[in-house]
Amino acid sequence: MIKAGQIEKGTALLIKGQPFVCVDREFVNPGKGSAFVRLKLKSPSTGQVLRETMKSQDNAEDITVEDKDCQYLYNDGENFHFMLTENFEQIEIPMKSFEDYQFIMKDGETYRVTFWEHLPLDIQVPAKVLFTVAEAEEAIKGDTVTGATKMVTTETGLTVRVPIFIKQGEKILVNTETKEYLERVNK
Amino acid sequence: MDIQAIQGRSDLLYQMRAWFRSNGYLEVSTPVLSTDLIPEPTIANFATQYVSEFLGSRELYLVPSPEIHMKKVIAALGRSIYQFSPCFRNSEQVSSYHNPEFTMLEYYTVEADEQQSIAITEELFARTALPGCPQHILPPFRRMTVAEACKTYAGFDLDCTQSTAKLRKEALRLGLTLPDEPESWESTFNRIFLNFVEPTLPQDRPLVLDEYPQQIVCLAKKTPGRPYRQRWELYAGGIELANCYNEELDPTIIRTYYHQQQAILASERGQSQAVIPDADPSFADIFGPAYPRCSGVALGFDRLLMLQLGRSALGGVILFPLSDMLSAGNEM
Repeated sequence: MIKAGQIEKGTALLIKGQPFVCVDREFVNPGKGSAFVRLKLKSPSTGQVLRETMKSQDNAEDITVEDKDCQYLYNDGENFHFMLTENFEQIEIPMKSFEDYQFIMKDGETYRVTFWEHLPLDIQVPAKVLFTVAEAEEAIKGDTVTGATKMVTTETGLTVRVPIFIKQGEKILVNTETKEYLERVNK
Repeated sequence: MDIQAIQGRSDLLYQMRAWFRSNGYLEVSTPVLSTDLIPEPTIANFATQYVSEFLGSRELYLVPSPEIHMKKVIAALGRSIYQFSPCFRNSEQVSSYHNPEFTMLEYYTVEADEQQSIAITEELFARTALPGCPQHILPPFRRMTVAEACKTYAGFDLDCTQSTAKLRKEALRLGLTLPDEPESWESTFNRIFLNFVEPTLPQDRPLVLDEYPQQIVCLAKKTPGRPYRQRWELYAGGIELANCYNEELDPTIIRTYYHQQQAILASERGQSQAVIPDADPSFADIFGPAYPRCSGVALGFDRLLMLQLGRSALGGVILFPLSDMLSAGNEM
């Protein structure tokens, strides 16, 4: 058991027998009221999102999870296919639970996957990822307005709004949560 | 640094001071360090130490609101007053809408009640808003009672659910999980309110949520003959922005409040490391027969500025937010 106030992003819980992972947490004090915590929970198997506001002192059923290294192989439009590096066993994780991850993960790269018993609950992607610009529109000549932006597509298919000076083939750092451009990386 | 936010703060303070002055309010400046606080079990406090080689030492507290001293000023002057006060609330999450130190705009209008405070606050908002303030932060305010909100968004009649058992039944009907051990009416109410009512409140205009349940104990007068208090909260953009009372003036009720709430506070914090501030029940004695009836509004100034600037977080609006100072290497 865990106190609701101790639940953090990434904490895995059992709710009515189903595993959920906390994706967001916010403390709230209603006017002249005691401490509550607002949780956004996600079911890894169905993608269902649950919003629940509990008293910080309420008990919740947490589950013991384990992180394992998994190599991302490919997706078939419905499932991500991974290989556990410890025993080469292949696993599938439904894509609908991890929106846009097909545009963030790179084939052949290794990610930490959180398991509860044999069920994969969460795929951990880095907060910032370096991408190569695969397609970029040419900047319109004479467009010198400060702050002007355009859209580019990365090698993984992610579309990102970037400053107009970014060219095809360049490397950019992107925030994977907000999908926002952070900086150009000259390497 | 965020120049637009720094300029906006300066402009809004200037406009508001001018408005209060032209409407007969006196600006006051009361202590941030206090020997005692009004007991409020739900607000965690900061304590510090006064130390003197000759006079000994004494624990002092950073005020969570300037209420205690402002009410003493009203007792002495009998006038409408306001101030922008630094306020401090411990253990709150350092997040988009919270910083442990913030600026409170608190104004008390004498010979007014909480209904008149709605019109006063609308006028204040209308006259002082920054250029470019989004429409949904501007008056006219939408008005709704807590009972109406419960009926509309959670489908139950608050007038008929005054017992803990009945309210519990509604919470279960709504699908909430309740602890096995009995809990207060207020706790169950807050569960329903936070899960079903607050997230669905309309945001197209500021909303005055009026008549809070009497079970939520505070220093607002009770509504005669009905189970509510003369208290409203203002929501704007879905965020709790201000709290208003028709101030309780009965010294007997205030003394009882002090004794009961201090006892609750001390028993709840007894096991933890939390600060138990001193409370001085003789505060009730300032409410003599000459004390003017009055209504006070406490408004989160930083949040208002954030909303007027069209921002979605306090970062930049508050200079040097604690989250930045903590992540800059001075970790807890």
